Amino acid sequence: MDIILNLLPHLLNGLALGLLFALIALGFMLIVGVMELINLAHGSLFALGAYVAMTIIDPNLSGYGAFGEWYMGLSLTLRYIIALAFAPVIVAFVGMGLEICMRRTYGKKAEYGLLLTYGAALVLEETIRITWGSAEQVLQIPDAISGAFIAGGMIYSNYRFFAAGFGLVLILVVWLFLEKTPYGSIIKAGAHDSEMVRALGVNLTRLRLLVFGLGAGLSAIAGVVLTPIWGLRPHVGVDVVIPAFLIIVLGGIGSFWGAVIGGILVGLTVGIVGALAPEWSLMSMYILLIIVITFRTRGLLGKKSALEN
Amino acid sequence: MALFEAIHLHKRFGDQVVLEDISLTFEAGQLSGIMGPNGAGKSTCFNVLTGHYKPNAGKVMFEGKDITGLPPRVIAGMGIARSFQLMNLFDEFTVIENILVALPESVAKSFNIGHDIMGNSSATDRAADVLAKVGLTGRELELAGNLPYGERRALEIGVALASEPRLLFLDEPTQGLGADGTARLEELIGELKKTYSIVIIEHDMKFLFGLADTISVIHWGQVIAQGSPDQLRDNEWVRASKIGDAA
Amino acid sequence: MSTSFAKKTPFITRPMIVLFLALGTFPLWGTSVGLYDYLGVEIVIWIIYALGFNLLLGYTGLPSFGHGAFFGVGAYSYGLFQLNVFESVWLAVAAGVVGGAVVAGLVACFISHRRGIYYALMTIAFGQVCWFVSMKWHTVTGGEDGLLNVHRGTLNLLVTDASLKDNADLFYFAFAVLVAVVLILWRLVHSPYGKALQAIRMNQMRAGFVGYNVWLIKWSVFTLSGAIAGLAGGLFAIAQESAYPDVMSLHASGFVVMMTLIGGGFVSFWGPVIGAIVFFVARDFLGSITETWLLWYGLMFMGVIIFKPEGIAGAFQDFVAKRRARVEN
Repeated sequence: MDIILNLLPHLLNGLALGLLFALIALGFMLIVGVMELINLAHGSLFALGAYVAMTIIDPNLSGYGAFGEWYMGLSLTLRYIIALAFAPVIVAFVGMGLEICMRRTYGKKAEYGLLLTYGAALVLEETIRITWGSAEQVLQIPDAISGAFIAGGMIYSNYRFFAAGFGLVLILVVWLFLEKTPYGSIIKAGAHDSEMVRALGVNLTRLRLLVFGLGAGLSAIAGVVLTPIWGLRPHVGVDVVIPAFLIIVLGGIGSFWGAVIGGILVGLTVGIVGALAPEWSLMSMYILLIIVITFRTRGLLGKKSALEN
Repeated sequence: MALFEAIHLHKRFGDQVVLEDISLTFEAGQLSGIMGPNGAGKSTCFNVLTGHYKPNAGKVMFEGKDITGLPPRVIAGMGIARSFQLMNLFDEFTVIENILVALPESVAKSFNIGHDIMGNSSATDRAADVLAKVGLTGRELELAGNLPYGERRALEIGVALASEPRLLFLDEPTQGLGADGTARLEELIGELKKTYSIVIIEHDMKFLFGLADTISVIHWGQVIAQGSPDQLRDNEWVRASKIGDAA
Repeated sequence: MSTSFAKKTPFITRPMIVLFLALGTFPLWGTSVGLYDYLGVEIVIWIIYALGFNLLLGYTGLPSFGHGAFFGVGAYSYGLFQLNVFESVWLAVAAGVVGGAVVAGLVACFISHRRGIYYALMTIAFGQVCWFVSMKWHTVTGGEDGLLNVHRGTLNLLVTDASLKDNADLFYFAFAVLVAVVLILWRLVHSPYGKALQAIRMNQMRAGFVGYNVWLIKWSVFTLSGAIAGLAGGLFAIAQESAYPDVMSLHASGFVVMMTLIGGGFVSFWGPVIGAIVFFVARDFLGSITETWLLWYGLMFMGVIIFKPEGIAGAFQDFVAKRRARVEN
């Protein structure tokens, strides 16, 4: 009984962490589901979103006179909300640019798309390094969601719960979008049947562009929400894209709830292992993946995918 | 003893029963045909016979040995070769390389890294012989991916022949061929049938009636008729479906 | 038969002679064009690594994104053998090969029935596991700092001993290893085994129906490739006088993929060689004019994938084919 009570806070923490992982995986899932493309630039778009948000929240406007003074006079909360709204839009356009580069690889081996996004990840990371420097940076957050509270002898950070709640809401929004809107049905059809999408009179080229933009935007939202927890450095992308990749495969490529369950499973594993042996907490997710994939070829809820060839 | 026997094969995918109860016998030196309407389970049957799928029940015997559920490479090693309906060539190899890699001695030496596969004239001569049999002499150094459709079909059969099989399975060989190509293929298979035991799965009835010694008709996952083309012409089902008229 | 299609594979070819002459004399001319001996050592080591890697990527079509693990295991094996077992360059390098092969062989057991994206992901996962272990297992690996007391040692050449202290001497040793690797791999890719690898890349299912043991071939090529990475890693430990986790990171694993591709590993045996040379020359050349050479290298990589996925070797082959066509007309 004691063990369970002692583990409870870690379970709670793990669950919150799991929602964050699921949030990370959302944009990745959308692109892999619709385009059967592993977007290795996902992590760098995540980082880019966070850096752009950082600049929107706290820009250097000394040369802009009255406008600069007016803008910095706005409350931090307001600037945070502006960042949360606009950073994803900017990153979505970057994602669309990447999609245009991708076009020549369609119809070729799946590895080419993967490699191209790997190159893009490198380029984005280096661009971030040039623009914002290599040092660790801080994304400011409003007072309302900072701070911490104590419950049952453990300290919990407010922001963590805000972020987990945000993750939960965004997961539901994306789910509703996919299930309940006509766009969602087209996107889902695109995942399995590009011919049907064409027959419906949908422009596949534009669909791909939009999906890539949407996926990139979701990565950026995750970046804005998560960097206050994980810190912001140019190579944060790698720390993000690999877990995202892993969660998608764990849950099963092409399955929405698979990704969510995969995220929560990874969060719980990392959380619990973190409580028992903190040194090995990050490695535990790889072990989890190897175990699951060894016994369940296509992940927890996966279907057959063209990516296997 | 029959060369090849399938005994009470049963195959389902999930709840869906594709092969109810199939028993077939193929004799050495004969050309046996399997036919049936689309969706009758022909392809599944073929894949079970050649080891691609494992049956849920029943046995497959080759030369008196039970080969049920053995992996394809083992079945290939025992002397059964197959061609594919959707073409399965090594596209970036030349035509002759496609045959060379399929020769039994290449397979036997697959871990011998000192052996020069292209430098062995007895092997390349044998490969050239195989190509002559399927009418591809003169195309040896062409890339397989660049061949026109009809020649790819021929090479598809050539790759199967390269393993010097004692039983050759051909999966819908006329698929996608025009009347001209089909006529040429009929001639080629007529020639091959003198030296090989062959099983063909086919929906082109005219083609099959012209070549086969015996034909089995599969429908609803069962063998509904079996016999020589002449016997089948009188069969009720064949007459009802009017396919006999075509032949 | 009127015509024979047999074409013997020569043991030594013209590109080999060019490579051996040009690269083998590097210490004699390198410094006079502003290069330095250590660069030669790095290039040779990474050529070995990339050649072994290309057996997987280019020949068998298996994308391994965690190959740095075996390079790193080779480096650690070298260091641990030298520090704890016996003082011998030959045996320690052999330990690197065995280390790479054993770990790769284990990993291969889990992945050899797969291909495509799942293969790529599983190699990433195993690569990350190796990387974590090397960082966290302080007592053996020395943690993030790595093994510090590795030294270059003396090479026993039967009649005489040669110290590897000097970079030029180390270069000649690494180069001799490279010559052996090139000669062996050249035979290998022209053997039935090499053809089987390519056959699996083009059509794995058909290769099985023709009679090849696809699983065993995929397992063995991964293990072999890991052994060669281990060999390169062992040499790297000599060169760096150290073994550390960095070479096992996803980034370092990515470099060997990029090199192999830019060079043209998909279409040529020599692709990885070209790619490794281009990588290091780009690093030094671009690195001397800009801090952010990786940005430009990354852009170049993207350009290659978009416009010429067959890489430099592919572009060269097109050029030769075009010229031949023009001469014939």
